[in-house]
Amino acid sequence: MIDFHQVEKHYGHFHVLKNIDLHVSEGEVVVVVGPSGSGKSTMLRCINRLETITSGGLTVDGITVNERKTDINKLRKEIGMVFQHFNLYPHKKVIDNITLAPVKVLGQSKAEAEKTAMYYLEKVGIADKAQSYPSQLSGGQQQRVAIARGLAMKPKIMLFDEPTSALDPEMVGEVLDVMRALAREGMTMVVVTHEMGFAKEVADRVIFMDQGQIVEEAAPAEFFASPKEERTRTFLSRVLSH
Amino acid sequence: MDFSILTDYFSLYLEGFWGTVLSSVLALIGSFVLGAIIAVFRITPVKGLRWFGTGYVEFVRNIPLLLVVYVFYYGPSALGFTLDGFTAGTIGLAVYTSAFIAEAIRAGIMAVPKGQMEAARSSGLSYIQTMTNVILPQAIKLVIPPLGNQFINLIKNSSVLTIVAGFDLMYFADSISTETYRTFDTYIFVAVFYLVLTVPLSYGVRVWERRLQRKY
Repeated sequence: MIDFHQVEKHYGHFHVLKNIDLHVSEGEVVVVVGPSGSGKSTMLRCINRLETITSGGLTVDGITVNERKTDINKLRKEIGMVFQHFNLYPHKKVIDNITLAPVKVLGQSKAEAEKTAMYYLEKVGIADKAQSYPSQLSGGQQQRVAIARGLAMKPKIMLFDEPTSALDPEMVGEVLDVMRALAREGMTMVVVTHEMGFAKEVADRVIFMDQGQIVEEAAPAEFFASPKEERTRTFLSRVLSH
Repeated sequence: MDFSILTDYFSLYLEGFWGTVLSSVLALIGSFVLGAIIAVFRITPVKGLRWFGTGYVEFVRNIPLLLVVYVFYYGPSALGFTLDGFTAGTIGLAVYTSAFIAEAIRAGIMAVPKGQMEAARSSGLSYIQTMTNVILPQAIKLVIPPLGNQFINLIKNSSVLTIVAGFDLMYFADSISTETYRTFDTYIFVAVFYLVLTVPLSYGVRVWERRLQRKY
């Protein structure tokens, strides 16, 4: 579904991604962990071309992402994205946040899009907030709206960029619950997160990145119980010891 | 204060008032359209347009308004045609104000968080769709107060038409005062006519701003 082949990315002199090789299969849940600045968010953002790559190959659903003739808007329809800071549209009601892309991009009728939106709001447990503005919602509720907004496009892939990092601790659970349910339903997911518990429980595979490289990848049981690389062990001892 | 000036010369005042209103409305529309286009030039990824936009703004807003008006009043004769004072003055006013409006609009667009563009684009919306549905509706809220200021400035600046015989309020007031020798009283009434335009405008802007503020 997603294929990185020897991907390199530079920001000026800064080498952000180094020789990234990664394959994500359909229905797989891949969790990316690593210290801040390790390039994990950048790698995620390359998948829907919010960031461009300097060299190497990247295909999503068989389509080369960084190619002139690629219709990026068409590809992005298939890829939902959830951001650390939710990025809901503050001037639109919850329901209109969700229906915007289905109406404008997929050409759905307003009524049809609203029906779909209500279905997903129900699913993330906040159907009663459909007529509210984002500013009237808690962080956890806003992030669940953002997930519903992504799902309403019926994407093949969902990307999560530190979806719980900006939340108050007591709201992390409700967002992870929604993601857990989504994973169970077989959605292809790439999740950048610091939630090790979530990685352990939900991931099919855990990727550890440091300084722009994929240092180690393994099934979660193996990754957390017996990491091979020294850098992974150091990282895990720091994040798991408290 | 001698109110007979107002009553005796009311038709002249009124003619000047309509000249000022007409010039202001035309310049307001022109400057807004021009300013919006220049603002878009200044934020587009196309380098040439960006340079043009920046050059335009820096040149126009850093020379006196009167000089801009002179360009349109005396400039055409060098090219073999003429513009009357009203037309030249109104165009000059629109061009001058557009530079400030472009900056106000650009600042409003830039103040919308980057994540808004990313969220909309990542859902498959095109750049134009994102601009019209997500960015501009949020920018307008930030742009209204400075835009209101620019429009009020524009109305006051329209008095520059007097210098190129543009038949505005000040122009007629000048002739009234030379006839009556009651300079001070004459211009007091001029001030009232300007206030009739600017005070409702600034009040309207405030109401609009508050209404948008309340919405979300």
